[in-house]
Amino acid sequence: MGVLKKTTGLMGLAVAANPHHTLGSLYGKILRTLQKMPSDAAYRKYTEQIVRERAAVLQQTKDVFELESKINCGQAEELIIQAENELNLARKMLNWKPWEPLVAKPPKGQWDWPPAKP
Amino acid sequence: MSFFLKRAIGANCHLGRVILNNTKVPTVQRVATKTDQGTPQVETRPTVAKIDPLRKAQLIDFGKYIAECLPKYVQKVQLTAGNELEVLIPPDAVIPILQFMKDHHNAQFASLVDIAGMDVPSRPNRFEIIYNLLSLRYNARIRVKTYTDELTPIDSACEVFKAANWYEREIWDMYGVFFANHPDLRRILTDYGFEGHPFRKDFPLSGYVEVRYDDEQKRVVVEPLELAQEFRRFELSAPWEQFPNFRGNPASEEVTNATETKKE
Repeated sequence: MGVLKKTTGLMGLAVAANPHHTLGSLYGKILRTLQKMPSDAAYRKYTEQIVRERAAVLQQTKDVFELESKINCGQAEELIIQAENELNLARKMLNWKPWEPLVAKPPKGQWDWPPAKP
Repeated sequence: MSFFLKRAIGANCHLGRVILNNTKVPTVQRVATKTDQGTPQVETRPTVAKIDPLRKAQLIDFGKYIAECLPKYVQKVQLTAGNELEVLIPPDAVIPILQFMKDHHNAQFASLVDIAGMDVPSRPNRFEIIYNLLSLRYNARIRVKTYTDELTPIDSACEVFKAANWYEREIWDMYGVFFANHPDLRRILTDYGFEGHPFRKDFPLSGYVEVRYDDEQKRVVVEPLELAQEFRRFELSAPWEQFPNFRGNPASEEVTNATETKKE
């Protein structure tokens, strides 16, 4: 274990005790949730790619600072928040099914600008 | 279109001058092609915003990414004013789109800057609701637009963004758009006992009531408006064209359009 981090420097964000373990379990959960989606869904494809990349970096590194600099998306605590959000989103996506075709077409002239004269 | 025309005319002038000067005549007259649009023109005017082509390309890519990830909910993605990305969505898609923008790794639009309303009475769905989002992580902004009419409620964004609470109350107050599942949908900007929604285009400029201090009653009284001049119908439509700059030169560039790609 390297130098212990005293603070994240961010209001209300405490230093995570064991970010490798937390992140590993979160990424696992995200990947398991994504597997319930159809394999050709773009959301699943891209999210799996992101999470796999991060999980691979997580495997390779032991040090928290090295992890942060390799992923380059904020501190480990922020990465945990991002992963939690993604997990939350992925679970909701299972209900919303965004890979289906468009729900409603816009009425004619809805997005035209300048608007048509009455 | 007018841009191409101007270029073509410019080229002609050039050609004419060249012949007059009797120097080398270009054999092929240059015709503006589709690829010309991509070549970045360096902006030299000091007061005009400079558009970074790299940043713009990133925005276009991100617009396509959103449309690909959520084909169910994105009607159209467009760029306005050169570098402002807009996602146009049906009213049912407000919660999923905003949640995606907030929580996805590649978006992280965690901050809801503002919700705006717009009234265009000539449209079947006359109100537009516009969400402005900011991603502090990627230093990027995005605009999400949806539409509704006087009666159809829109899902409240409060469950995604806490900041939406007051913004939606403002819209409810000014336009009378109803937000379903809002925790506390009251008027916020207008006076006590105010009636009507003042930002609607059919709300009269003078309002419906006037307020004055009454000396006998020793209080402020509210009375129906009485105008000294009797009602006159003002003809406000101008004989000239209102938006000449938009003629054949749309205000926005299209990035993707779900409805049209489906037709093909």
